[in-house]
Amino acid sequence: MRSCGDEIDDAAGPGLSPLPGSGRMEQLVEAIAERVVGLVVEAIDINAVVSKVDMDALLANVDVDAIVSKVDVDALIDRVDVEKIVERVDVDRIVGRVDVEQIIERVDVQGIIDRVDVEKVIQQVDIDSLVEQTELGTIIARSTSGVASEALDLVRAQGVGLDDFVARWVNRILRRNPDDLPVGPPGLVAALEAVDRPTLPAGRTP
Amino acid sequence: MTSRSEVTAPPVVGRQGNYAGAVTRLVAFAADVGASWGIFTLSVAAVTFAIQLVTGRTVDLTHGRVTSLLTLFALVVWEFVYFAYQWSLSGKTVGMALLGIRVVEVEGGAITGRQAVVRTVTLPFSFLFFGLGFLGILLNRDRRAWHDRFARTVVVYSWDARAARLRWLAKQEPATPS
Repeated sequence: MRSCGDEIDDAAGPGLSPLPGSGRMEQLVEAIAERVVGLVVEAIDINAVVSKVDMDALLANVDVDAIVSKVDVDALIDRVDVEKIVERVDVDRIVGRVDVEQIIERVDVQGIIDRVDVEKVIQQVDIDSLVEQTELGTIIARSTSGVASEALDLVRAQGVGLDDFVARWVNRILRRNPDDLPVGPPGLVAALEAVDRPTLPAGRTP
Repeated sequence: MTSRSEVTAPPVVGRQGNYAGAVTRLVAFAADVGASWGIFTLSVAAVTFAIQLVTGRTVDLTHGRVTSLLTLFALVVWEFVYFAYQWSLSGKTVGMALLGIRVVEVEGGAITGRQAVVRTVTLPFSFLFFGLGFLGILLNRDRRAWHDRFARTVVVYSWDARAARLRWLAKQEPATPS
C-alpha cells in the first residue's frame, strides 16, 4: 500500500525528492510558509511600508534610457489600432473645452499682417475675373455706379478714344513711332509704375 | 445668351498720368467756356435785376460805352479768376474735372499758384494767329500748347479708367456655366 507521501514524491519526480518522506515534509513546509506569509501580509500595513520607501532614490537607480532603448517602439505602434482610438475620441468635447477667444488673443495679427506681402497678393488677383465670377461686380455696380458716373465714364472713354484716333493719324503723317513717344511726365509715370498701374503709350489702344 | 468672352471690352484701361489728347482738352475747354460764360451771364442778369429793383429803371449793362467797358473788364477779371483759382487749387477746372484731365508741372508734380497765374495770363496768346499756339497739343511729343510752355505745365489724364472698367464689367450679365 502506498502512502500519501509516496504519491507526492511520485508527482514531484524522482530527482526532486532523493530522501524517503522528504516530499511530504516539503508539502508541510510549504503549507506552513503559505500560512505564515498570509498572516504576515495581513499584518503588514502596505501603505505604511510604501510610504517609507524613498521613491526618488529608487528611481535614481533605474536606467530609464536603457529600458526605453530596449523597447521596440515601431512594433508597439504597429500593434496600436489608431483608428479605434480616434473613433473613441470625442472631438466635439475637446473643442468645446478649447478657449478659442484666449487663443485668438494670443495671436499677433498685426505681426502676421506685417509679414504678408500685400502687393504680391494683389498682383496675383485677376480682378476682372473676380468681378465677372462673383457678386462683387454687382456690389461695385450698386455702390459706385449711377447714371451720372456712367455717362461721365462714357464721355471720358469716348474722348480718349478720339484722342487716340487723332494721335494715330498725326503720328502717321509725321512718320513717328508711337512707342518712341513719352507716355507722360517722367515723375508721374515713374510713380504710377511704382504702384504697378498699367499705363499705355499715347496714341495706342490696348 | 452672350457669353462673357464675347462681350467687347471698353477700349480704355488705365490712362492715369498719360499726356491728355487734343479732343479731350478741347471738349474740356469748351465746357469751361460754357460754364464760365453761363455763370457770368447769370451774374450780370442778377446785378441788372438788383439795380432795377433799387432804382426802378431798366438797365442794360451791355449797352453804352462805359457800361460795356466795365462789363468787359468784369468778364476778363472773372475769366482770370475762374481759371487761375481752380488751377492753383486742384490743377483742374470744372470742365477738366468732367473730362478727367488735370494740369501738372512738367515732371508730374502739382502746379504752383504762380504757374496757374502764368498759364491763365498766357492762355490768350495761344489763340493768336488762328490758334497756332494750340497746334503743339497735336504735334508735340509732350502735347504742350504755348501757354503750357510759358507756365512749364502739361495736361494729363487723371480719371481712373480701371475703376470705370470694373463698373462696366459689373454691369454685364453673369457668366453662364457651360
